[in-house]
Amino acid sequence: MPSVLGDYAPVLVFGAISVVIAAAMLGMALVCGQQKPYPEKVTAYECGFEAFDDARRRFDVRFYLVAILFIIFDLEVAFLFPWAVSLSRIGLFGFLSMLGFLSVLGIGFLYEWRKGALDWD
Amino acid sequence: MLAQLVFYVFAAVLLLSAAMVISVRNPVHAVLFLILAFFNAAGLFLIAGAEFLAMLLVIVYVGAVAVLFLFVVMMLDIDFTQLREGLQRHAPIGICVGGVLFAELIMALSHWTMAPAGVSVPLQAAPGLTNTAALGTLIYTHYVLLFQACGLVLLVAMIGAIVLTLRQTGSGRRQNIEKQHARTPEETLVLVRVPLGENVLEQGGFLRPQTSYYDTAVPGSYGSTGQPAVEKEETGA
Repeated sequence: MPSVLGDYAPVLVFGAISVVIAAAMLGMALVCGQQKPYPEKVTAYECGFEAFDDARRRFDVRFYLVAILFIIFDLEVAFLFPWAVSLSRIGLFGFLSMLGFLSVLGIGFLYEWRKGALDWD
Repeated sequence: MLAQLVFYVFAAVLLLSAAMVISVRNPVHAVLFLILAFFNAAGLFLIAGAEFLAMLLVIVYVGAVAVLFLFVVMMLDIDFTQLREGLQRHAPIGICVGGVLFAELIMALSHWTMAPAGVSVPLQAAPGLTNTAALGTLIYTHYVLLFQACGLVLLVAMIGAIVLTLRQTGSGRRQNIEKQHARTPEETLVLVRVPLGENVLEQGGFLRPQTSYYDTAVPGSYGSTGQPAVEKEETGA
């Protein structure tokens, strides 16, 4: 479909440019740079002192909670886009159905707020 | 011509990155290749004219799902020597499962009939509407029940995540926000005139009023009742 491609041609150009720039930076470093690795040089660098341990370790489950809550509100926002585009055609009923959807999620938002899920501690 | 070229570039990168996802050693790299695959799939959707799906793929999958994948991958303690230990024992089971799946694929593909070329797919674009607008006119009116059910599912997911993972440790120092905002400098600061050339520590260090830390603390949180343990540290500095 050439029309869609025409609409997004600038994005395509930007994408191509970014790929070229990234490839040039990595490639030039690979080609032109002197590389003399030895075991001490390629160890993980941690502000000058020895690395404590592996990066794969348990961390607080609250990071996960924040990510889950973000996904849920992300999906909610995704529903808002077509609603906003077609609001003039769906009338009062469509408007109210979105309000119902938002109020259901608003209850969830109130729940997590009162429960303290948004507080870090 | 150009559209076909772009399609083949996106499709090739998509297939390559999908192959890298399952073949690459480092699981974090696998997730990054998965993100690249998502982007290329979004490009394919765009070429097919499904703008809304393409943007949804970028917003939801790249923005949120990939982040979650990264979390899970980084939370897993993946030890390759330990993984390879069970290979001998579990290989028969793996081969059995893979064989069954492969046989099913063969059976499904052998019964697959292609429509003859030239037969148009019975899909009609909504007249005079963009893709997103056409979706919007249906979701919120015709499919209102399913739409509200989506809201309920999201609510259940939200409450479930909170119930499963929220543990209040009480080790944090939480503030009563209204109280903290209503405070004035006179209540929290004591200005001491220090003579020139004198050591600050001899004047008593950096002083705060005794109540300054814990009179805005939320009851039950750390430091709400605790007396000057913290203040002493400050003085010593």
